[in-house]
Amino acid sequence: MWDFIARSLNASTIFTIAALGELIEQRAGILNVGIEGVMLFGATLGFIVAKTTGSYLLGFLAAITIGGLIALLYGFFTITLGGNQVVNGMGIWILGFGLTAYVGYPYTGPLGMDRITDFFGLSPFFFVGVALIIVTWWVFSKTSLGLKMRSVGENPSVAEVSGINVNRTRYLSVITSGMLMGLAGAIYSLNYNPVWSINFLMGWGFLALALVFFSMWNSFILLGGSILFGTLWQLSLNPELVLPGVLSRYIWRTVPFAMTIIVLVLMSTKWFSSRWGAAKPEALGLPYEKE
Amino acid sequence: MKLGSYEVKLEKKLKVTGWEAAAISILAILIALVLVSFIFLQAKVNPLIGYKEIFSFAFTNKFGLPLTINRSIFILLCTCAFIVPMKAGLWNIGMAGQLYAGALGAFAVAFAFGAKESPNSTLSPGIVIPLMMVGAMLGGALIGAIPGFLKGSFNTNEIVVTMMLNSITFWLVAYMIKDGGPFMGGGGEGEGYKLPESIFAPQIFGGPFTVLIALGLAAFLYFIFTRFKIGYQIKTFGLSPTAARYAGISSFKIPLLVFIIGGLIAGLAGYHNFAAVPGVYKITQNYGNYGDLSFYGIICGLISQQNPLAAIPIALLFGGLTNGGRYVQGKLKLGFGIDYALLGVLMITLVFFQFFYRYKIVWKKIDKEV
Repeated sequence: MWDFIARSLNASTIFTIAALGELIEQRAGILNVGIEGVMLFGATLGFIVAKTTGSYLLGFLAAITIGGLIALLYGFFTITLGGNQVVNGMGIWILGFGLTAYVGYPYTGPLGMDRITDFFGLSPFFFVGVALIIVTWWVFSKTSLGLKMRSVGENPSVAEVSGINVNRTRYLSVITSGMLMGLAGAIYSLNYNPVWSINFLMGWGFLALALVFFSMWNSFILLGGSILFGTLWQLSLNPELVLPGVLSRYIWRTVPFAMTIIVLVLMSTKWFSSRWGAAKPEALGLPYEKE
Repeated sequence: MKLGSYEVKLEKKLKVTGWEAAAISILAILIALVLVSFIFLQAKVNPLIGYKEIFSFAFTNKFGLPLTINRSIFILLCTCAFIVPMKAGLWNIGMAGQLYAGALGAFAVAFAFGAKESPNSTLSPGIVIPLMMVGAMLGGALIGAIPGFLKGSFNTNEIVVTMMLNSITFWLVAYMIKDGGPFMGGGGEGEGYKLPESIFAPQIFGGPFTVLIALGLAAFLYFIFTRFKIGYQIKTFGLSPTAARYAGISSFKIPLLVFIIGGLIAGLAGYHNFAAVPGVYKITQNYGNYGDLSFYGIICGLISQQNPLAAIPIALLFGGLTNGGRYVQGKLKLGFGIDYALLGVLMITLVFFQFFYRYKIVWKKIDKEV
């Protein structure tokens, strides 16, 4: 049973860190639907670097760097060129999906390195995730940087007038998020399931995107949601732990995705949004141009 | 910005003419091809030779051309499935799931006629083939209706929902064709059963008849969006759902309708790919690759500015590039997945070029001060 709990928490860590990245940029008003693409870049490059150099540290650094660079590209499209954020995000996702399939293919297969030390099956990254959640909460609620970020997400024109450099603040948040997404991807490919195959994330990034909507942009709810999803994911891989022999294992694989749809629908009902809908950053997804 | 004695300025465009849009699209494709040539260089292949091989296999080779046409029909159908919701401002990235469901629908019909139990039976093609297509359309429309209904009723984010449905239907197909699933073939390789020869799709000009459906559909959609009331209603909704509501257009019916139509068309793409392409006639083990290929429909739809007629030559080009790409990676010993890399590069180039739909660069000579 503990094994199962540990595996679930390990899976949840990937959701936590990726979704936290998305949350940070959404608080600053930037919607990035390309989260899965950034994760694929981090996961693939991290995997390749770790496999060729034999160093986990270099692998993770490479993943964080590429995540930041891809996010910089996204920021350039979104903040500087001011294009439609959904189109740009789709671009980042398909770029990641297509390019990593080509670049990673020669490395198909297991990583073949000693596993990172864990605590009775619990990955050290779980604690990294929890720490990042606390840091994010602290930055957003206690520091002036957090206030700046939130204000450019709520009303960029007012923020600009009060002396905040909107574009610089948004770039900062976008790059930070990209680094977190890259890290999350690498935790998947170097620690959670160290085997490379084409498009191996198969929707994890989109699950993380749904989690951000679910979290009401609150990092602690995000952590709870990630643990829920991590458990659900692990359960869908090992259904025999709960309901042995009921339904095919393929049908179980659909459960986390179906649950995401159900949760998302609940969240978008009038009943829900009239109570807690105000948490949504006012300027989310809108391009900002200086007057 | 100043360059020598010229001043370069960005000016906002108010309107993009059809020719401007076409020029921008062609330029975007060319730039993407130039960027992909770095992949050839990195593999120590002269890009010009690489592209020559790709195009000559895809468009002049007697084995390559039919493959290109089959692939292009598939991409064109996926493009139409993307375009219809996009006209209403909604993102259908669920063509993969809808085409899997379409394939399941088509094979369910054949299954009901006993095609799996008696593979040598002679079924009446005049009855079974149209019914298989109806099955495919129903399957696709059913999966398409979900995001449409949820968008219309609760304003649920259609991007996440369609993506989730891609994964859900992916595993449903696995359930149906693997590990003793109902549609599993006899070979035990985890692929679908093979259709009896009597219900192979009819051919015209040496290719599957679905080419007529794809071209007819593109023309039909073009007319719907330029001549018919419903087309205008969908476009109005796409420009502003609020304005559409004031004009009496239902903000429930439009999302539902466009996603049902989109899913239906993607379902036909599933029929085409698994039941009509010569030599296949079963749900293959690598069905997921075709789901991936359906994302070319997104690029094709965006690059054609959601014009179904303009999408035809682009689908043909992309069909040729993906098909020829697969061929050269074997012949010139490139890495696997040139078609995937091209997909990514095309998309990001296009995203960059959307800037020029909104802005134009103006060069002005600076007058020397007197």
